Amino acid sequence: MSEIKLTAERRTQFGKGAARKLRRAHQIPAVIYGHGTEPVHVALPGHATMLALKTANALLSIELEGNSTLVLAKDVQRDPIKPVIEHIDLVVVRRGEKVNVEVPVHVEGDAGPDTLVTLDLQTLELAVEATHIPERVVVSVEGLEAGTQILAAAVELPEGAELVTDPEALVVNVTAQVSAEALEEELAEAEAEVGIEHEESAAEVQTEEAAEATESTEG
Amino acid sequence: MLIPRRVKHRKQHHPGRSGAAKGGTKIAFGDYGIQALEPAYVTNRQIESARIAMTRYIKRGGKVWINIYPDRPLTKKPAETRMGSGKGSPEWWIANVKPGRVMFELSGVSEPVAREALRLAMHKLPMKCRFVQREGGDN
Repeated sequence: MSEIKLTAERRTQFGKGAARKLRRAHQIPAVIYGHGTEPVHVALPGHATMLALKTANALLSIELEGNSTLVLAKDVQRDPIKPVIEHIDLVVVRRGEKVNVEVPVHVEGDAGPDTLVTLDLQTLELAVEATHIPERVVVSVEGLEAGTQILAAAVELPEGAELVTDPEALVVNVTAQVSAEALEEELAEAEAEVGIEHEESAAEVQTEEAAEATESTEG
Repeated sequence: MLIPRRVKHRKQHHPGRSGAAKGGTKIAFGDYGIQALEPAYVTNRQIESARIAMTRYIKRGGKVWINIYPDRPLTKKPAETRMGSGKGSPEWWIANVKPGRVMFELSGVSEPVAREALRLAMHKLPMKCRFVQREGGDN
């Protein structure tokens, strides 16, 4: 994964008032720390940072007062409703250093017929080189039968990556799909409990009326 | 329908409705979800209706998660009763949902199917909601 360059400005004013002023100016307050260095409070450009953080484990190169620092986003505070990043914690990394990161798991392929594939672990924690963080780990479920379970130890990892997650942790679970009859029965039971009634469709009403008409003519 | 097996107090005060959700604001289990945009009390019947609506649409294809639980009782006094004489009897079980909360999640279906299934489910809920999906940077 390539580095994404961002230019930062040092922050001199702190507290919620100063932070809100920054956000109004489309900037994001952030702090850079790690490797025994003093924490540095910075302001990042809002839109560019938001785009950079759309990629999982994005490696950022922060340009601050002529110096460049490689960092990873450790914690991103987002507004629960608005698409706004409120604050970012950035941790300093060095080239060649191994870091622990949560890498998303991606399922590929189609499992056997009448199966349901459930991803039980959305991410795997891996120890990888900071400059070579994989975008995702791919797990193939092509042709797998119901009852198959893929554990973390069985996942093929990218080159140079070590598994930190418990090797016995369940990643992908392939189960048998519920039968149409069983599903219909369960839903009908649930609907009866809630009191949902289905309106009769026009076709059904017509057939019933036709049946009644034949009965009356016969009688 | 979801209902607590045992509670410490049968009759409780109405839960507070101010503020936003403190947790559960991201998709945790599935690929798609319904996020609340307003505060509301969601009854166990509404939760069940929403689940039935989305399960009927996706048929056997996917898996549904319900992230809220109706653990708070609401009481009601009988009609045409004079005030006083104690608190009414428990009538509903509700989940106190704050804005930002991801209430339902879905996986194992394509995006258009998930959108339609969750749209149908949203019509059963008492507040404004929106469709959300997992993004790369969310992990």
